[in-house]
Amino acid sequence: MTWSATARGAHQPDNTAFTQQRLPAWQPLLSASIALPLFFCAGLAFIGLGLGLYYSSNGIKELEYDYTGDSGTGNCSVCAAAGQGRAPPPPCSCAWYFSLPELFQGPVYLYYELTNFYQNNRRYSVSRDDAQLSGLPSALRHPVNECAPYQLSAAGLPIAPCGAIANSLFNDSFSLWHQRLPGGLYVEVPLDRSGIAWWTDYHVKFRNPPLVNGSLALAFQGTAPPPNWRRPVYELSPDPNNTGFINQDFVVWMRTAALPTFRKLYARIRQGNYSAGLPRGAYRVNITYNYPVRAFGGHKLLIFSSISWMGGKNPFLGIAYLVVGSLCILTGFVMLIVYIRYQDQDDDYEE
Amino acid sequence: MNQCPVHFIQHGKLVRKQSRKLRVGDIVMVKEDETFPCDLIFLSSNRGDGTCHVTTASLDGESSHKTHYAVQDTKGFHTEEDIGGLHATIECEQPQPDLYKFVGRINVYSDLNDPVVRPLGSENLLLRGATLKNTEKIFGVAIYTGMETKMALNYQSKSQKRSAVEKSMNAFLIVYLCILISKALINTVLKYVWQSEPFRDEPWYNQKTESERQRNLFLRAFTDFLAFMVLFNYIIPVSMYVTVEMQKFLGSYFITWDEDMFDEETGEGPLVNTSDLNEELGQVEYIFTDKTGTLTENNMEFKECCIEGHVYVPHVICNGQVLPESSGIDMIDSSPSVNGREREELFFRALCLCHTVQVKDNDSVDGPRKSPDGGASCVYISSSPDEVALVEGVQRLGFTYLRLKDNYMELLNRENHVERFELLEILSFDSVRRRMSVIVKSATGEIYLFCKGADSSIFPRVIEGKVDQIRARVERNAVEGLRTLCVAYKRLIQEEYEGICKLLQAAKVALQDREKKLAEAYEQIEKDLILLGATAVEDRLQEKAADTIEALQKAGIKVWVLTGDKMETAAATCYACKLFRRNTQLLELTTKRIEEQSLHDVLFELSKTVLRHSGSLTRDNFSGLSADMQDYGLIIDGAALSLIMKPREDGSSSNYRELFLEICRSCSAVLCCRMAPLQKAQIVKLIKFSKEHPITLAVGDGANDVSMILEAHVGIGVIGKEGRQAARNSDYAIPKFKHLKKMLLVHGHFYYIRISELVQYFFYKNVCFIFPQFLYQFFCGFSQQTLYDTAYLTLYNISFTSLPILLYSLMEQHIGIDVLKRDPTLYRDVAKNALLRWRVFIYWTLLGLFDALVFFFGAYFMFENTTVTSNGQIFGNWTFGTLVFTVMVFTVTLKLALDTHYWTWINHFVIWGSLLFYVVFSLLWGGVIWPFLNYQRMYYVFIQMLSSGPAWLAIVLLVTISLLPDVLKKVLCRQLWPTATERVQRGVKHKAPVQAAQSSDGPLLKDLLRQPRRS
Repeated sequence: MTWSATARGAHQPDNTAFTQQRLPAWQPLLSASIALPLFFCAGLAFIGLGLGLYYSSNGIKELEYDYTGDSGTGNCSVCAAAGQGRAPPPPCSCAWYFSLPELFQGPVYLYYELTNFYQNNRRYSVSRDDAQLSGLPSALRHPVNECAPYQLSAAGLPIAPCGAIANSLFNDSFSLWHQRLPGGLYVEVPLDRSGIAWWTDYHVKFRNPPLVNGSLALAFQGTAPPPNWRRPVYELSPDPNNTGFINQDFVVWMRTAALPTFRKLYARIRQGNYSAGLPRGAYRVNITYNYPVRAFGGHKLLIFSSISWMGGKNPFLGIAYLVVGSLCILTGFVMLIVYIRYQDQDDDYEE
Repeated sequence: MNQCPVHFIQHGKLVRKQSRKLRVGDIVMVKEDETFPCDLIFLSSNRGDGTCHVTTASLDGESSHKTHYAVQDTKGFHTEEDIGGLHATIECEQPQPDLYKFVGRINVYSDLNDPVVRPLGSENLLLRGATLKNTEKIFGVAIYTGMETKMALNYQSKSQKRSAVEKSMNAFLIVYLCILISKALINTVLKYVWQSEPFRDEPWYNQKTESERQRNLFLRAFTDFLAFMVLFNYIIPVSMYVTVEMQKFLGSYFITWDEDMFDEETGEGPLVNTSDLNEELGQVEYIFTDKTGTLTENNMEFKECCIEGHVYVPHVICNGQVLPESSGIDMIDSSPSVNGREREELFFRALCLCHTVQVKDNDSVDGPRKSPDGGASCVYISSSPDEVALVEGVQRLGFTYLRLKDNYMELLNRENHVERFELLEILSFDSVRRRMSVIVKSATGEIYLFCKGADSSIFPRVIEGKVDQIRARVERNAVEGLRTLCVAYKRLIQEEYEGICKLLQAAKVALQDREKKLAEAYEQIEKDLILLGATAVEDRLQEKAADTIEALQKAGIKVWVLTGDKMETAAATCYACKLFRRNTQLLELTTKRIEEQSLHDVLFELSKTVLRHSGSLTRDNFSGLSADMQDYGLIIDGAALSLIMKPREDGSSSNYRELFLEICRSCSAVLCCRMAPLQKAQIVKLIKFSKEHPITLAVGDGANDVSMILEAHVGIGVIGKEGRQAARNSDYAIPKFKHLKKMLLVHGHFYYIRISELVQYFFYKNVCFIFPQFLYQFFCGFSQQTLYDTAYLTLYNISFTSLPILLYSLMEQHIGIDVLKRDPTLYRDVAKNALLRWRVFIYWTLLGLFDALVFFFGAYFMFENTTVTSNGQIFGNWTFGTLVFTVMVFTVTLKLALDTHYWTWINHFVIWGSLLFYVVFSLLWGGVIWPFLNYQRMYYVFIQMLSSGPAWLAIVLLVTISLLPDVLKKVLCRQLWPTATERVQRGVKHKAPVQAAQSSDGPLLKDLLRQPRRS
């Protein structure tokens, strides 16, 4: 880059603060005298925050159960053994019994957790068609190529919803039963299956294709369900607001997880007697065991968790704040010592 | 340059042509004050004696007039027709760059006789680039043209210059390239190791297509490798190169805008011919400066004379102009006695008579050497500018030299009477004797010998006079850098004179050893003198030249003077500009000494002298300047240099060179005189490629400096009187030498810290950017999944983090301009590429790695097995990436904010603005379903993230953790091992009021600060 300013000629340069590099400026200096109070203040603030977070996290209860069915771990092992090596595995159901000695403070959320499941694998996570899921009729008939090999069915029909994510939709289902008195009757605890997906996903991003003659089934005519599915997409739920692409389970599943071990929200318990939480007593979870995870060495877990303002149980944030806060104080002291000792040296030097 | 018109002689006619049509053998006519278009053999001039005067200022920097002689047999051809009829052939050697050597011969054919053969020497050669002076016109025949001229051979081809910063940048880049490749390799290998379990390679939920399965394993592996390369390629900061170019281009405007570097007199400001070397200005270790026209004004000025211990100062100089009313004398001492008055007049007469000045009657305005009283309007011309200055000075003291007419010298004395002296003999000047004499006969018949010369050659021959007083004065003047000459006389009686005549005659006619015999004769004649006094002449230094050199030396820069000029002249200038000090011990490595001893012995002796002290010589501050340290200055001349540079037969060529370099390194100042242009470049090259590879800067104003300007790392042209050759070929041009100080100490320093931060920061922020991606591969099955959305990937370097660093690299001032100017030692803080050393680079890279680890694992632990929203909903992988990205953008921007010392409103605007822009962009990018995208993965991701309290807390926490080590390092380093810069910063901060009261030329701030602190 060669250039010359001769064109400026013999004119005197502009005398502005900018051209003379003399703009008024604030010139802060990161010296110990500023940093010390900063460190102490930050340290104290962090420790305070950390304590709050820690206790807040500790107040959250979690109850989890691995129902993968490794041999000898409860009655789901039967299902696991039955489904071994068969795709799709035969329908099977098992149960998990537990009892609560005291009230499980609500609101209680029911999650399922999968491990060793790479939803974040690139090939997997691109295997979807957002245009199709937004209800675009043309995309419904012509899924994008990323969906391959779940783009077209063996018959050549477009798959709706296409792609590996949709095809691998989690299809275990759970129901919770409560036995108030020992030996008493199990009463089904109502599970609120709505509101488990992001509001925007459910209301904006995922749309069913326009109804044909008022029927969703007709709208999906000419498409094939994903190969692993037992039911077509428009029969996911009898509720017209929860079927098709806007089925909440489906929407939740389609938000791919960041890490190979992940949880997804299954239901909220907040209705009737259970709005304050799960009262003490014996419980049974009926599990429809469909989803094969042992093929890839994964596990399936069920989790009951209460939620606070900061979400689920996560001691990390509190501990991290505490550690960083104490580190700040510690280094503050170290620096104070250095500062005081150095100050003497400095005076010596300056003499 | 190829278009300028030249007068040719063709068939006896004068023709004007463009100079590019010039061919060897053409006869050219050159008029007064024209420059020779090519190397010419001088055929004839309009002067009867076949001489002409030229000035070679643009070739070797000597502005004095030199006499050249026409070929004997052709000097009679005065007209175009005559010349047209000339029939001759010339044989000459192949073109070679030595300006002072030429061998050839001419055969002149005439119709009648046999051809006449004449030898041709350099006195017959007129060099291209020299200017004809004081001669109306000459004819010459072109022998070397175009690129074969000696001037062109002394040119250096212009090569691409790259700065040290750029070199480190490229080295860093190679490191990063290796990191990139190894990252991709590691991931590819791990991917296939990991995938060796089939359920991982192709679990039931993630089947491959048939064509993917069919693909060859090695092809797949290679594609994967490439995919990883693409994924991690952002670690190579391509945008850095764009930003660096922009920074250099825009930044160089600050030089051209600088008011302090604008010269009101000439109306010239600094020029920037290349913006590639801005930061190199902050790295200079050696400065090679031309003398004439660069350090000096090239303008001799008579300063004072000392007669018998009384000092006379002619009224002088106001802004370089001699005041016209200054005919009187300022007497410093009391008025002398009558006897003294006689001596005084004798002294003035001596000065008027003892010289070889020619007088040119000239009514037209010509050159700077016009006599002060406009009426006489005569111009003195001499091969020695000192003589002119002396004659002019005496004129101001009342005695005017009028002319030499019929061997009578006429002068006008104070009473306006013309005195005539018969010139009997001239014992001309030579550099061994270092004196000259004239023998004159006054009107009254008295015969005088006046002798003028260097003090060292006069004092031993003096038998009478106030030697001690004059010697003291001379020494004082020499230290001040004035060029001193002593004047002595002797009255001869007729017999003595006749004896002298005989002696001289005998020597002059001797056929063998004429030189030697003449010297012996002179030796005999010039003795038993009576000392009259001494004179002092100043080659006026450029304004603040000494101050500039002093500042540069304090800044740890070694200043070398390279000049084509004589040793004495150059040495005097060096004293004047404080390059040599009173206590500097001068070491001479000159032809004279080498003739006495062998080069080998001289070199070893010198190195012994120098190295004796090297034990105590530390590289600590001020070591070269402190009064108690022995300070060495080296003087070397061109011939000695070429001996050193010449490779020897026995193959130990580098031996002398190393020794010479060793000596040079121990000297605080080096003066190289009698340098040909190419030798100047050779010296620069020698230093440039010595083992420390120092950064060199050459500054000069003439065409003779072009080759060294081109050779040095940074070439600076002084926009001077001798044309704009140097300015055109330089990287930067400045109006005056003094501007070099601000150029290096302020602009260079700023540019360096700015660009080094720019480079390091760019690498740092790209490590921060890409390393989390690398880590993510371990959690996504090495599937090349990106952590961030495409928009973030694209815009990170382009918009989110680009402007703050660009503006930083344009605006940053870690210390104020005035402080930098006042305290040149601060320049040492950035010397040797201090901010781009490997240590610093590794620190930045480790910091980047640490920050990346914090971002990634911070987010990892946040997201592991839990929900972070109060409604229990779960975030996906894009929220994860967005959280990492948000923390990163904030950290990286705040890191720059921590490094910024100079917060103008622009910095505030850009730093906070770009953070705001990131937030607004993210809100917008996730807030709308973009119809042109075939995926909507970012929809509401950012907003959802912000709706979660822990995400906010995590952002604050992670940003703090990332910045903590850097803050800690900064504070501790500042406390425990403060650099000079940091001390001064602190000083400025604490003592701001003191500083405000300071004028910019005050003492060093550091000295000032100590006092108040004590109380």
